[in-house]
Order: sequence, then structure tokens, then C-alpha cells
Amino acid sequence: MNCRECVEHLYAYLDRELTPELEAEVRDHLEGCEPCDEQYDFEEMFLKFVRAKCRAENAPPELKKRILRELFGE
Amino acid sequence: MADEKRDKRASFEREALIHLDALYRVARRLAGNEADADDLVQETMLKAYRSWDQYQSGTNAKAWLVTILRNAFINEYRRRTRRPETVDVDTLEPYAVFPEVQEEDPQGAFFDRIVDDEVLKAIDDLPEAFREAVVLSDVEGMSYQEIARVLDVPVGTVKSRLFRGRQALQGKLYRYAVEQGYIKGSVA
Repeated sequence: MNCRECVEHLYAYLDRELTPELEAEVRDHLEGCEPCDEQYDFEEMFLKFVRAKCRAENAPPELKKRILRELFGE
Repeated sequence: MADEKRDKRASFEREALIHLDALYRVARRLAGNEADADDLVQETMLKAYRSWDQYQSGTNAKAWLVTILRNAFINEYRRRTRRPETVDVDTLEPYAVFPEVQEEDPQGAFFDRIVDDEVLKAIDDLPEAFREAVVLSDVEGMSYQEIARVLDVPVGTVKSRLFRGRQALQGKLYRYAVEQGYIKGSVA
């Protein structure tokens, strides 16, 4: 596997969505390639960052009350 | 009869209502404004409750609910809540941020200075096909298979939309960080 292929599969690798064979190929490449390994860390951090920034948003309490009222008449 | 009703309510609360926050986040990113997101979530929950006997207990309630929500959005809200999608999904420009920051900030520390609202705005600016894949995966943690079912596309399409959607999002946030002076960068 070359660097271009590795980077192409990096997100699916992070998402644990590759076949075991492909996953092993990416892992082997990362172990022997510092720039790709650095990019792996960078992309991993980015996905965690997006999740953290967006998960803070929750349904407003008023909406929850409204839905319970509609569903169960309370 | 009263028992049946009580059981239905209990199982709905246990398996469906616990996903209210997740549904709201998805609705917010699809609809683009709070009022429509509220209505969309309420409608989804009412529809789900009405067809609760079609849901198989213990299967994936979150994916089932998101599918209802997305269908409601497409059928009833999309036309009036958002401008028609003018961006051809094939024209989303691939943008690789890492090579730009590799020297200056390979750890991506500049991302931490970007506030929540700016991230949400950047997601909202993505073309819909990419936005929904990014939200379902990166915000809600759904698998490619689950997302493929919700969006009714092949798993390979989910993979490529995520790749391009994430790159586009990263590119937007990177350019914003350069504008704000969080990172010097090399944007022309």
C-alpha cells in the first residue's frame, strides 16, 4: 500500500469500517510511514473535535414537554 | 387495554424517547432553523408512536427514527426550509488540509480555538448529501451500514460522501482559522 491509498482509507480505518485484510494493510503502512502516521493522528483528532463541538446541542426542554403532551396528553 | 397502552408507552419511552436529543441534532442540521427542527422532531415522534407496532423491539430504534425524520424532512420541509440544492455533489472540491499544516501544526491544535457555532455553521454550509452523512457518522456515531440504510444508498457511497464531506468541512474550518489568525497557514 502506498501513501495515497493509505490516506484514501484513513477515515474508514478510523471508523473501523475496513475489511480485516485492508485494515491490516493500513496498519502495516502506518507503522512504517511517519507522515501518514502523523496524518492519522491529525484526522483522529479532527473527528473527535467535530463530535465534541456538535454533541453539546440538545433538544430544548420545552420541546420535550410539548412532545410528551402530544403523545400522552400530559 | 389499559395495560396494553401502558406497555406501549413504557417501551416507547425506553427505546424511542431516549433518542430525542440525537433526533433534534439531526433535525437541526437538516432543517437549518430551530422552529422547523422542533416541528420535525415532534412530527417524527408522533409518527413513530403511531407506527410503534411496526418497530421490532430491540432492533435499531435510532436508525428507524432517523429514517422517519429524514423522510418527513424530504417530503414536507425541504422545499420551504432550504434553498433548493444548487451544488452538484460532484463539484465539491477535494481539499487536503493536513499537507498545509504539517509543518506548522501537525497536531491540529488550531481547531481547538474554533467555537462551537462556527463548526455548526460550517457543517450547515455543506451540500445536503455530505452534510447528512457527516452528521450521522461524526455527530451521531452511526455505522456506514446504518447510514446507508437511512440514506438508501450503497455503503460505498456513504464512504465516499464521508471522505469528501469531512475534507470539505476541514477545509472550511482551516480557512476560517487562517482568517482569524489562529494559524498562519499557506492559503493563497
